Amino acid sequence: MNCFMFPGQPLFTDAHSPDDSDLLEVAKLTRERTGLDILDSFWQGQPAGESVTLQVYGAAMSLCHARRLARDGVKPGLIAEHSMGIYAALAVSGSIAEGDALELTCRIGRVMEEMSGHGAYALGCMVGLPLEPLLSIAENNGVHLANHNTSRHFLLSGGRAGIETAVVEALASGAFSAKVFPCDAPLHTPLMATVEAGLREVIADFRYGEPAVPLMNHIDQDWLTASEVADFLLRELLLPVHWDATYRALRAVGASRFFEVGAGDALKKYNRWIDSEAARSA
Amino acid sequence: MSEELITQVKQLIIDSLRIEGMDPGEIETDAPLFGEGLGLDSIDALQLVVAMEKDFGVVVPDAETGAVVFQSVRSMAQYIAENRK
Repeated sequence: MNCFMFPGQPLFTDAHSPDDSDLLEVAKLTRERTGLDILDSFWQGQPAGESVTLQVYGAAMSLCHARRLARDGVKPGLIAEHSMGIYAALAVSGSIAEGDALELTCRIGRVMEEMSGHGAYALGCMVGLPLEPLLSIAENNGVHLANHNTSRHFLLSGGRAGIETAVVEALASGAFSAKVFPCDAPLHTPLMATVEAGLREVIADFRYGEPAVPLMNHIDQDWLTASEVADFLLRELLLPVHWDATYRALRAVGASRFFEVGAGDALKKYNRWIDSEAARSA
Repeated sequence: MSEELITQVKQLIIDSLRIEGMDPGEIETDAPLFGEGLGLDSIDALQLVVAMEKDFGVVVPDAETGAVVFQSVRSMAQYIAENRK
């Protein structure tokens, strides 16, 4: 069974062919609904920072990729999402329209961007340490676990100073790689409650239909229903992403072919790690 | 360091990273593995660490060593030749 996986915010934008009709159509829709021209990262009207640009770009690339797959006759039997991949995932599941997904991504991003005016935040990408020492490092430095991607791939989130010291501690503890990425807001942590009212307001402006394709959420690996979507969209910004558990759950219900629908290939690499670990322990 | 080991390392990269449709002969021995070369990242590197330990019994103990080992296929093969049991 095919599973479409929607990745979160990419780290950078790519060059694209100007002859790609899907891209041009999605670019037009993105301009109309958000003001961002994804072809040159230029904002018409009210500008936004790099994080919002990448968030909207990521959602647009996912929609573009989904259109190509549909044209090639590839259909999802299941859908999964990681972090801000949820908005495009909702569109492809049929819960919201493509334009709504783009606007929702942009407006959520702009609310999160407000946090950057009140503090300096960062993400810490940690590779190589297992969960337990990583949690201790997070606690020692006053930051939070934001992504549990595999048994050895994690993302910490929080204040920039705390993330920077956590990275140093992780490397001293034997992490294979630990890097800091500045961001607007401490995504997937309780600190996001600071902008909860603004997020609720944005989320309430949209109507969510029943997903026509089963959509697994990354918090507790349940299938999202229309009545749960709005609540999930808020909760997912305050809680960690559990990709490891999500991938295993998808496998358990019969997903066998996985398509990473969007920019990059991080989810495929996480899946590869999880599969190889299962093979090693078999 | 033998050509056979170089080829084995290339095959290890293909197998452990599940690079479809690539032959060992298509990987340049001295090309950088990260960035411009094969375009690998830290997720791939950790996968290679595990594969090297499994296939050759060679341990890459820390990030500093990894930065040296994973410069190219040749540097990987060199490290394996010097450290395998």
